[in-house]
Amino acid sequence: MKTRSRETKISRRSWLLAGLTVPLFSARAADSMKVMYDGDNLHVAAPTLHFLTGKPLERLKYGDVVAYVAQLELLNESRTAVVRPQKGRFVVSYALWEETFSVTHLGSTPGGTPRTAEGLTTVAAETWCFNNLTMSTLGLAPNLYYWLRLELRTGTARDFAEETKIGISIHDLIDLLGRKNTEVTHWGPLETRVRLADLPRMAGRGSRNG
Amino acid sequence: MKYSWLCLLVGSLLFAGTQDSDLNVNRRYTVDTVIVAGKGWKTNVADQQSDRLSSGLRKDLLALIGQKLNPGILDGLATRLKKEFSASEVSHHVLRGDTPEHVRVEFEVRPPHYGVDATVTKFLYDSKQGWSGAGSVGFSVQQNTFAFGLASDGDTLNERFAGISARYENKHLGSDRVGLRFQFESYHEQWNQSTLDALAARPNQTSDAYRTRQNFEPTATISLAKPLTLEIGVGFQRLQNQFPAAHTEAANALISTLRYHRRLADSEYQQDVDAGYTLRAATRLLDSDFVYTSHVVGLHYRVAHGKHQLMEHVEAGSVNGRAPLADRFVAGNSYYLRGWNKYDIDPIGGNRLVHNTVEYRYGPFQAFYDAGAVWDSGQPATPRHSVGVGFKESIFSLAVAFPVKSGHVEPVVMIGMIY
Repeated sequence: MKTRSRETKISRRSWLLAGLTVPLFSARAADSMKVMYDGDNLHVAAPTLHFLTGKPLERLKYGDVVAYVAQLELLNESRTAVVRPQKGRFVVSYALWEETFSVTHLGSTPGGTPRTAEGLTTVAAETWCFNNLTMSTLGLAPNLYYWLRLELRTGTARDFAEETKIGISIHDLIDLLGRKNTEVTHWGPLETRVRLADLPRMAGRGSRNG
Repeated sequence: MKYSWLCLLVGSLLFAGTQDSDLNVNRRYTVDTVIVAGKGWKTNVADQQSDRLSSGLRKDLLALIGQKLNPGILDGLATRLKKEFSASEVSHHVLRGDTPEHVRVEFEVRPPHYGVDATVTKFLYDSKQGWSGAGSVGFSVQQNTFAFGLASDGDTLNERFAGISARYENKHLGSDRVGLRFQFESYHEQWNQSTLDALAARPNQTSDAYRTRQNFEPTATISLAKPLTLEIGVGFQRLQNQFPAAHTEAANALISTLRYHRRLADSEYQQDVDAGYTLRAATRLLDSDFVYTSHVVGLHYRVAHGKHQLMEHVEAGSVNGRAPLADRFVAGNSYYLRGWNKYDIDPIGGNRLVHNTVEYRYGPFQAFYDAGAVWDSGQPATPRHSVGVGFKESIFSLAVAFPVKSGHVEPVVMIGMIY
């Protein structure tokens, strides 16, 4: 019995290994997401996160459109509460003859003005999406630590309700909403610990929050 | 609440402005080809010879050609294709066309999932002949279909036959053009007294009243050209007689059927033409006790316009030699000279047949006129006529048919499912 209880215990060496590994995972996540600050907004870059791949890319190359929803969340230091959520919705299509991507940013909430970029390469399209994903820092304490979490998934019909209010054509909506059974693909989450005061400032922008 | 977002969406559509954000960049391209493809087949909707699609759907698919790509309507067309082909799924792909700035739309039809499929192939009540029914249970594995059936049919032939059947079919034997089928049937027969009396009065004209009938029929189907199909096979029929002593006779025959099917569709009218010729040659070479040749030709024409349909079906047949009762022509059933009693026309059938049906349908309502004759060579043919009205929705049919003859009128009521 004594031997058995010893076997089920976690050894000190295991605890040590686990303790060393957790920060490594955080470090890796932090490496894959870069955060910049322009004085008003947080900007993210995820150079290792490629979402124009796999099944969604296959659909795009068959002339379909694929909707993506990016979820950026700022959590408190203990990661127990979301301090500020931010959502970005993108619709991507692939020009069959030009072999370039077209991305439309529908905004974080219904009613926002859509912006479109065309003729993009794969990397440029992914970068364009993240460049358009910003989070306002208004009201945030510059000296507090927060966690910034980024998640991405393909969109569903529910994500694009009420989009006609911003002038999306009926045909596009039927096209988007008609695909009820399209499986949802997830990327992330990527997390990094941030403090506004420590973040690198983007060139050419002043600070408003201190 | 579940669809509240949809209500909002529809409502807001009314106020949507003219600003049209083209989410799909491929809208700028023009469609030059539309392809519908299934397992082992592919059809270009612009191909006039293509008869896989109904005229309405083909017309709507054709309408895509020459227009800018409209991805929004492809889903609707895929849904219609799914229904038309009873497919498990229909997906669509947009690919580069043959010329720059043009695209090809391809619909991929996935066949239904494998599973057990129970079908009632005949279910009929005839006020003169009583109930007839047949059904089968089948399942498919890839291209192979297996079916097992039960039947009790007092309508089709002069005898009532009851028994079992088994069928194996491969519709894609190496190529979509070749199919193979093996069919086995085993029936017990019941005879009407008037048939037995006629057999006693006219011996050697046909077989005796056999007690059981077994038939094994391997057949190959070859698609010669698109609308033309050839079936070649052999029928091994064993008839077990009871009298004067228990013995078995064979009616083994080469079977060949040439079929032509063409669907013609313009914007308003849809026309179907089916023509067929069947030759059945029973020969001593196949160790047959009966030696005969049977020729049957048929032409079926249908024109539809909205709810109106007009059908014309003409058939003629001839048997030379001594054929068993099951291979003789019978009229006065649910197919030929409806309303007549087959035992009044000829209780052992005939070796000559001429028949014509004209039918008009408006929606589910039908009116028909049958005219024809069944007789034996060397005997005078007696033309007979019948008229009827009925209701036919899908396979369900209810009809009252009146034989046109002098004297009393005795209508026949037919209710059931006829395929």
